[in-house]
Amino acid sequence: MSHGSGARRTLSVEGLARVEGEGSLRVEVRDGVVEEVALSIFEPPRFFEALLSGRAAAEAPDITARVCGICPVAYQMSSCAAVEDAVGVRVDDRVTELRRLLYCGEWIESHALHVYLLHAPDFLGCADAVELAERDPGSVRRGLALKQAGNRVMETVGGRAVHPVNVRVGGFYRAPSRAAIAALAGPLERARDDALATVGWVAGFDFPDVEGVYRFVALRGDGRYPMESGRVASSEGIDVTAGEFLDRVVEEQVARSTALQARLDGALEYLTGPLARYALNADLLPETARRAAADAGLGPACANPFRSIVVRAVELVAACDEALRLVHGYEPPDPPAAPVRWRAGVGTGATEAPRGVLFHRYELDDDGLIGAARIVPPTSQNQLTIESDLRRVVQAGLELPDDELTWRCEQSVRNHDPCISCAAHFLDVSVVRR
Amino acid sequence: MTGPVGPVAPRVIVVGIGSAYRRDDGAGAAVAEEVARACPGVTRLGPVTEPLDLLGLWDGADLVVVADAVRSGAEPGTVQIVELSEGAGAGVGSGGPPGTTSTHGIGLTGVLRLARAVGSAPRRVVVVGIEGEDFGNGTGLSAAVERAVPHAAGHVRELVDPAR
Repeated sequence: MSHGSGARRTLSVEGLARVEGEGSLRVEVRDGVVEEVALSIFEPPRFFEALLSGRAAAEAPDITARVCGICPVAYQMSSCAAVEDAVGVRVDDRVTELRRLLYCGEWIESHALHVYLLHAPDFLGCADAVELAERDPGSVRRGLALKQAGNRVMETVGGRAVHPVNVRVGGFYRAPSRAAIAALAGPLERARDDALATVGWVAGFDFPDVEGVYRFVALRGDGRYPMESGRVASSEGIDVTAGEFLDRVVEEQVARSTALQARLDGALEYLTGPLARYALNADLLPETARRAAADAGLGPACANPFRSIVVRAVELVAACDEALRLVHGYEPPDPPAAPVRWRAGVGTGATEAPRGVLFHRYELDDDGLIGAARIVPPTSQNQLTIESDLRRVVQAGLELPDDELTWRCEQSVRNHDPCISCAAHFLDVSVVRR
Repeated sequence: MTGPVGPVAPRVIVVGIGSAYRRDDGAGAAVAEEVARACPGVTRLGPVTEPLDLLGLWDGADLVVVADAVRSGAEPGTVQIVELSEGAGAGVGSGGPPGTTSTHGIGLTGVLRLARAVGSAPRRVVVVGIEGEDFGNGTGLSAAVERAVPHAAGHVRELVDPAR
């Protein structure tokens, strides 16, 4: 919708689709200059941190998994990592490998959903995934098969595809049998082929020529692409522990949003997620994914946010390939979980959710009860960068008619796969030109 | 290459949609449970809270009965039966407004259109809805909905029997 004329112009979109959760977007343009970009999140606040206070730390992985139906494993993994850090538990390598396999399942499920059902329609001029499926059923069928392969990994390792029930502090309640894990090999091999086809498919899309200026933050994998662990790295050379990084993250409340907005050192915006992970870890991708990235024309880093769909597809290849490696090398952890001795302490956990780094920090008392909890999800960290992207996109596209510019704004938000449910924990759009 | 990764779909499926932790939203699961008990040949799935999750689970079935709580303004406990035919618009059980596709908004009709487009849709999808009264936090159905569950389950059994 457009209000005003001449130097002052108002555009507004009432509903932003294909993001997780509810929010809105308002852009104001005066005399051809973008004055204000405001991402408002009106999803009701969810108070998870307060909910944890007084609960046993052993319950935290399952309570926090409920923050999100798309990335529950991320919540469970960061939660376990925080508790284990607080009480000094070191888990067996076999537990770590099984956690990584479960995480691969979530990445495959979440990335397939975003690439095929939420993001691809933007590039193909389709209103939604249903229209895309009607126009190109073969591609959507491939995306659904990929998602189902991820579901299957989640069911086998986690007990079910959404909100897995097999994760506990120290490891797992039960180690899946060798036969159950071996049965994942066939579906994962097909999924890897589908993921490679996905890279070829999305690399052929038309991308707006927009380059962002990003401060990338991601975990730096210890010899492998980061998922379940790692130190925190940035494109400006930060190399610290999760705890040290979180000390530098300041979150602020803004009136328009039920989600906190995070700044590094109280001032700097930064971006987590696939673009950041890739920029800081491309050398750690499995060979198959690295070749796919090169074939798709990705350099050592990618700063065109619209091309994040290509990076996500490369990560799909990586997750399938890595899952296969883990399946072939599977040794059931015995015992399935490390023993935990409760003691007072403060612990921080950081893992790579599909849409970016997720931090948890808990303070525990002697009985393992949580005194204070802090959860910093990727979308809170990415909000300011998403607003900066919008400013660039609107400024570069001022000659576009209202409806096209608005569409590009929505696309721009979806580039970063925001999960508003997690961040409030999102999206109507209005662009005002004055 | 692409191919099904799940097990072969059973021919008749009953699935409850909704959350039992939101009072009458648990009506769908209650109906599905009662039908599964009475009809051993029927496969019960769910409860499913997100219709998108039906993709892969219901592929190629002969008949899928979707039991769900509805809010249409009718008397609480009223049972409605709607067959989702080709070209169905936003009907009973649909999540968001028609045409929206977020993971929180793709409705049953959207999911069915998507499944039909990719050739994995069940042959028939019938929605059995029970008008809910209380969708607040907590477990347990309101009295009117509780009474309507066996009635709705009876309708489902009638649908299911000719198919077996």
